[in-house]
Amino acid sequence: MGVVYRAHDQVLQRDVALKFFAETLGPDARQFLLREARAASALSHPNICTVHEVGEADGEFYIVMELIEGKPMSVSIGSGGLPYESVMRYGAQIAGALTHAHGRNIVHRDLKSSNVIVTPEGLVKVLDFGLARRLAAAQDEVTRAIDTLESVVTTGGTLSYMSPEVLRGEPGDYRSDLWALGVVLYEALAGQVPFHGRTTFEVSSAILHDPPPPLPARIPPGLAAIIQRCLAKEPALRYQRASEVQAALEAIQSASAAPKPPNDQRGSLTTVHRGIKHLQVKNGDVLLLVGTMKGVFLLRSSAQRARWDIAGPYFHGQATYALAYDSRQGRHRLWASTFSMLWGAFLRSSDEYGRTWTNPQEAPIRFPVDSGATLTNIWQICLGRPEEPNVIYCGVEPAALYKSHDDGETWSLVRGLFDHPHRPRWMPGLGGLALHTILLDPQNPERMYVAISAGGVYATEDGGGTWQARNRGIRVVHMPEKYPEFGQCVHKIVMHPSRPERLFLQNHWGLYRSDNHGESWQDIAHGVPSDYGFAMVAHPHSPDCVYILPIESDEFRCTPEGCLRVYRTRNAGESWEPLTRGLPKKGAYETVLRDAMTTDSLDPVGIYFGTRSGQLYGSADEGRTWKRILDGLPPIVCVKSAVVGERRVTRAPRGTKQTVSRRRSSPREKSKIRRKR
Amino acid sequence: MPVTVLIPGPLRSFADGKSHIVIERSPTTLADALEVLWKRCPGIRDRVVTEQGQIREHINVFVGNEDVRYTGGLQTPLLDGVEISIIPAISGG
Repeated sequence: MGVVYRAHDQVLQRDVALKFFAETLGPDARQFLLREARAASALSHPNICTVHEVGEADGEFYIVMELIEGKPMSVSIGSGGLPYESVMRYGAQIAGALTHAHGRNIVHRDLKSSNVIVTPEGLVKVLDFGLARRLAAAQDEVTRAIDTLESVVTTGGTLSYMSPEVLRGEPGDYRSDLWALGVVLYEALAGQVPFHGRTTFEVSSAILHDPPPPLPARIPPGLAAIIQRCLAKEPALRYQRASEVQAALEAIQSASAAPKPPNDQRGSLTTVHRGIKHLQVKNGDVLLLVGTMKGVFLLRSSAQRARWDIAGPYFHGQATYALAYDSRQGRHRLWASTFSMLWGAFLRSSDEYGRTWTNPQEAPIRFPVDSGATLTNIWQICLGRPEEPNVIYCGVEPAALYKSHDDGETWSLVRGLFDHPHRPRWMPGLGGLALHTILLDPQNPERMYVAISAGGVYATEDGGGTWQARNRGIRVVHMPEKYPEFGQCVHKIVMHPSRPERLFLQNHWGLYRSDNHGESWQDIAHGVPSDYGFAMVAHPHSPDCVYILPIESDEFRCTPEGCLRVYRTRNAGESWEPLTRGLPKKGAYETVLRDAMTTDSLDPVGIYFGTRSGQLYGSADEGRTWKRILDGLPPIVCVKSAVVGERRVTRAPRGTKQTVSRRRSSPREKSKIRRKR
Repeated sequence: MPVTVLIPGPLRSFADGKSHIVIERSPTTLADALEVLWKRCPGIRDRVVTEQGQIREHINVFVGNEDVRYTGGLQTPLLDGVEISIIPAISGG
């Protein structure tokens, strides 16, 4: 690709690298390289070789670059490969360099092990961003540039790093760099590139069609999985952002920082709960998972939901804010987050309905050291879509989103949200600064929503790479500006899977609906005793039906007038009706927290909620009548339900005719709505 | 001289059930001793210190009878044969 000289800059008195390009480059290629190198000179990142100057002298094109003392990775990689710890470290740095460049619309296009220099201190420097292509370039320029570049690159001998889409003649994008990163990491571990052959045709064919040969068994599965994902033939199946690869590599780096004891490769002990009665569960049973401030209780009933067996407490003395039942791919797995003021927060799972639980030696969810943050609690466990059965999300405090691609083995911080410029100005509510709700759009795998107290609703349309605040129309009481861009104390958002464009929201004061993916919100607090509250659940079958449990105020966080009432709308918030049969009408100064209400998926739907005073109520007839299922539990923070052996199925809405509540709210009720504004 | 780390009941499942772990390598500071402990019993580390390497807020570590918060934290020097105690605070709710 040219000749590199060590040179001395006499003006700035520094040694630099001076690269001259071959004269054989045609005028188009030279113009192209000049333009792109100028763009790359704007990059400033510790893992990118800085371009000081670009230009032409006597018809020769040159680049003046930072002089780096080090060895190309291609030289350090012996036939046996590098230690995997080094590969993780180098990989995270290369991914960091790509994150920086991609964020500025610059794709490397020629990442390979000889373009990665490692200094004696272990610092990685990626070279030759000068060949990158500006995505923003006009299409005709791009096409011409590609033609030129192809001839340049293929003669440069970098076919082994080319992605399938580039080989097919497509322009390629950021994800082609992630493919190349996968090749580099594979090569660094195995000592040779994954796709080889005697001829260009054989190499191309292997890239296009063959899976990469398995990595040596000594490579941790988490690292192998990351490389495997970078090497997905279809760009859509790879990581979509370099920041995701960076976060995944950082996560396994910190997870492998402490060696596992030799007798337990999984890094997890098992906690066996003896001396307590466990559930006997069969297919078709309904499960209730109840998280309290002092442990988890599990309940089981037949589909009639008339009598309940109870088991627990599991995790004696620890609080559980988040629970989930994973039945994807035929699993029967319970997930629980445990929080101890003493020992910290851990994620646990059970495949035996609570008889045994994993007890990870190392906290799998942890903030990277450079973030300076410390995990306080795990507030939400959200299973990935059915088509991504190994994906799990967690919402945590301090507010951040974590994602696992491997069934909870390793976790990575979703950097796009964590690095959002709003984050420093989010402020904690009474419960702490938490990301407590995660909603996945079932129809669009790139779109999801999170709710943060107090930051508001944020959405991504690109699978988590970038996030936008979606709070227009949501009023706040705790700031002088009443409709700020962000900072709302959202208590819950819900969505019906058949209408993912519509969201319902219970705010710290205020009930809202959005009909446009959260772009704007309208007030729907018509006929409720208070628009303050925490819990909100969507009916699993009817997209117009939502349940809430109003609380009097933020000062007096109890049910209004000591009367425990669930409210339901069946017309998407046009009106609300109280559901009270079987619930105490006086002397019940209760609080129901944001995750302490849920529905099952049966027909008629069962609805369940737990109170801070430790009472668990349920209705097996959509809320018409209620029964107290249990009394005397510790304060309840989380209630989830599941039907055993059934994937949670969302049925088509029952007809298109909307059922308008028979009981319209009276003017007197309207006047009682407390608006502390 | 070795030093001894006393393991509180809730963490003994990560120490093969042992109530104390003897660290033979004559560590000179608390940090050195804990590094050895983490290698022997990796499950204890994340329950005693945060991912930022700080002792958790409601965990007290004593060298002898002194709370290390007042003796230099993780850099507290260790005398030969001293006992290190990891003791949960009486916080709670």
